Amino acid sequence: MKVLLSTLFLVLSGLGSTARAEPVVVVSAASSLRQLSQDEVVNIFLGRYRRLPNGDTALPIDQPESSPVRADFYRRLVNKDLNEINAYWSRLIFSGRTSPPLQASSAADVMVWLLGQPGGVAYVDRTQVDKRLRIVMEFAR
Amino acid sequence: MKPPHQALSASWRPTGLLLRSTLAVILASLLAAVVAVAYTAQATSERAHQTSQTRLNELLDTIESTLAVACFANDQTLAVEVTQGLLSNSDVLAVNITTDQAVLADGRREGANVAQTSGLLKRLIYSPFDASKQVGQILLTPDPQVIEGRIREEVWLAAVQLSWQLGMVTFAVVVMMLLFIVRPIKAMSDRLHRMDPTRGERLATPKRHARTEIGQLVADINALSDRLTDTLATERELRLQGDIDEKKYHTIFDNAESGLFLIDHRGVLMSWNPAFAQLFDIDRQPPGQTLTALNINQLPWQNPTQMDKLVQNALRQSAAVTKDLQILIPGVERSWTNVVLRSVGNNLLQGVVHDVSHLKESEANARQLAITDPLTGLANRLGLEQRLHAHVQEYAATKTGGFALLMVDMDEFRRINEGMGLPAGDSILQITTRRLSACLGSEDTLARLAADRFCIILNHITQGDVVDRVAGRITLAIRQPYFVDGSPVNLHASIGIALFPSDGFDVPSLLRQAELAMDNAKSSGGDGHVFFNPVLTEAAEQRRHLESDLRSAIRNHEFVLFYQPVIDLRTLRLSGAEALIRWRHPTRGLVPPDSFIPLAEKTGLVVEISLLMLDTACAQLQTWQNQGLDYTLSLNVSGRQIPDGLSPATLHEVVSRYGISPDKLALEITEGVMLRDIDKSLAWVNAVHALGFRVYLDDFGTGYSSLSYLKMFPVDTLKVDKSFVKDMKDDGNEFTLVGAIIAMGRSLGLDIVAEGVELESHLLALQRMGCHYAQGYYFSPPVPAQEFEAVAARVTTLLALPAP
Repeated sequence: MKVLLSTLFLVLSGLGSTARAEPVVVVSAASSLRQLSQDEVVNIFLGRYRRLPNGDTALPIDQPESSPVRADFYRRLVNKDLNEINAYWSRLIFSGRTSPPLQASSAADVMVWLLGQPGGVAYVDRTQVDKRLRIVMEFAR
Repeated sequence: MKPPHQALSASWRPTGLLLRSTLAVILASLLAAVVAVAYTAQATSERAHQTSQTRLNELLDTIESTLAVACFANDQTLAVEVTQGLLSNSDVLAVNITTDQAVLADGRREGANVAQTSGLLKRLIYSPFDASKQVGQILLTPDPQVIEGRIREEVWLAAVQLSWQLGMVTFAVVVMMLLFIVRPIKAMSDRLHRMDPTRGERLATPKRHARTEIGQLVADINALSDRLTDTLATERELRLQGDIDEKKYHTIFDNAESGLFLIDHRGVLMSWNPAFAQLFDIDRQPPGQTLTALNINQLPWQNPTQMDKLVQNALRQSAAVTKDLQILIPGVERSWTNVVLRSVGNNLLQGVVHDVSHLKESEANARQLAITDPLTGLANRLGLEQRLHAHVQEYAATKTGGFALLMVDMDEFRRINEGMGLPAGDSILQITTRRLSACLGSEDTLARLAADRFCIILNHITQGDVVDRVAGRITLAIRQPYFVDGSPVNLHASIGIALFPSDGFDVPSLLRQAELAMDNAKSSGGDGHVFFNPVLTEAAEQRRHLESDLRSAIRNHEFVLFYQPVIDLRTLRLSGAEALIRWRHPTRGLVPPDSFIPLAEKTGLVVEISLLMLDTACAQLQTWQNQGLDYTLSLNVSGRQIPDGLSPATLHEVVSRYGISPDKLALEITEGVMLRDIDKSLAWVNAVHALGFRVYLDDFGTGYSSLSYLKMFPVDTLKVDKSFVKDMKDDGNEFTLVGAIIAMGRSLGLDIVAEGVELESHLLALQRMGCHYAQGYYFSPPVPAQEFEAVAARVTTLLALPAP
């Protein structure tokens, strides 16, 4: 039984990993930022703070709406779906005190703004990470 | 009936039941209301606070997620917006939203008290993305005025509601009280005011109250009325009866002939009746205020201390005490009252006083009479004995004195009474009394004991010679002739004398000694005096002894008849016998009749003895008759047997019983016996003779030998006394006397029996003189019955011999 269960779990996780992307938080490799905690990522992406530990103003960047990694990211980060995240922002936007992350229209835009802005922080699928990018936070497996 | 409103207002009197109960109900209601309202306020307050809290919490719930976002993002705008929203709620007075970095919003209602800190509602705000991470907090201040207002409203509502309810209850209670209690009671009270239970009026039970406590009360009141009227009626009857009784007793009290009175323990008179007033000659009215108190001691008692003692005695005991008390009232020589006192409680004594003067007088008279002889006025036997006792006691006390007792008995006084009549006798006794008195001194006592017997006490005289002189004087005085109807009568007396204390120490023996001495004087012929001598006592003792011997002799059949033959001188044959009594004494032997007949006569035993002898004689006659012997038997009859001791009927009965002809039995009587009571003797002799018995005149010649008596009595035979016959000598006087008697008897047609024939010469002389019968020792002495046959044979033989 035990063998059966563990086998099942392995199968399922294997399926998951193949079906979903694995988002990681990245910055430009040129940035001095080396690591962010998950709390810091939450604060930055959900508008609480916009200051990075190295003193730079953070510039969070969202993947396009349709990108599966975006949904995964928020699911993994605060266990919310995108509708909820949108509802959250809709309350804050009205006051004008803070604003949601930059809305990229494509993955490429994400890379442009990430590399182009000093405080840029974004999430990408692990498979999209290359030398220009530095992973500062990974979700626990 | 009073108008209802008046009745109602009467019900509201300050002390009335209705007002009191209403006030009580209202007070109780108010108290209950206050408690209820206080409780309601308390409960409402708690509830209002709770409700407020709940509402605020709910409010916080609705804004919590928005606030979480605002706090997470430090969005002041959003926070202020939320604050505004909260403040729009009336419960909320102030809102304060803070994050860990800054105050996001701090809004409050205008005019609110800043210092309000109680009832603050605080809620921690967590991150919308991490429930464990606090991002801020909200402080909500509720508005107390709102809550208080709500509480006030609720309490007010409760109060109003309670007031309504209590008001209704009070109203209902008052109405009930009025309807069910106050009005019926009021009605009963009004009815009771006008009710007269004695006329049978009673309370009516109020409507619909038949089974309630009110109905019970009415029944109880009616029952009480019944009992009270009953008691009243009884009381009235008793009072009426008491009035009648009192009137009755008052009448009795007023009209009583005895004195009635009431005294207290000191003897003060409280009241008395008219009879009492009259008895003591005092005012009729009982003492009022005007009169001073009168003590019973102050009444004219002869001896007031006796009255005092009587009062004290009466107070000490419950029974009545009584005493005869003498009173001294001027004008009344002496008056005796009998006082009865009885304690009636309360230290009061009730008394009755009778006038007993008359009783006392009669009593004294009776006492005097008892010791007095009415004929002579002398003391009687009782009086004498009293006097003797007094003297004896006086002597015993003083050892001086002494006295002589003289008993004076007239000799043959009976002769006077019988021959001359009782008045003559009485007259002589009265004269004797005077003569005796004349002989006595003032200290001496004269008494009359019986018919002709007197007693004299010579006080302080004990010397024999003095007594002797006095006795001699008395003898002389009585010897003086008495004159009865002009004729002189000579009498004398016998005097017996006893001396005290030398002869006897007590009254009875003194009297007996005097009597013995007197008897002795009498038996020695009378007309003299004899001093008591102890020998007399001895003789009397002997006599008493003899008497008891006689009695036992009768019982033991010791009396026997001896028979002395009687010879018919004409035929020279035995014609019969004279029966002579003998006493065969067990120790003294044969006792002759002279020794016991006088005493037997004196004691009356002779009657019994002679009846026995009659029986024996008749039995002997019967024997002879059966043997074909035609003997006659003569029997001596004593004076005591005539007329009743040996009645003709008895004689007839006895001879009939033995089947004997009466003419075979001759009854010998002496002249003395015949003449003792001529009428009775004559009647007896006539009766006996008529029955066929023959009558012999015994001892003829020794007494009166009266020819007239001889003619008067139907005597058949004369018995010439043996003294004449015994002394007969040739040509002597006696010879002539016997011859004369025989001649006289023959001339009267009587048979003659000569007694005491002892010699043949007697026999021959008697034969010559024509005497019919003879008896005497010449033929035979008296012999017992069993020897008689032999004697008869010897006599026949003797007579058959040719005369010498």
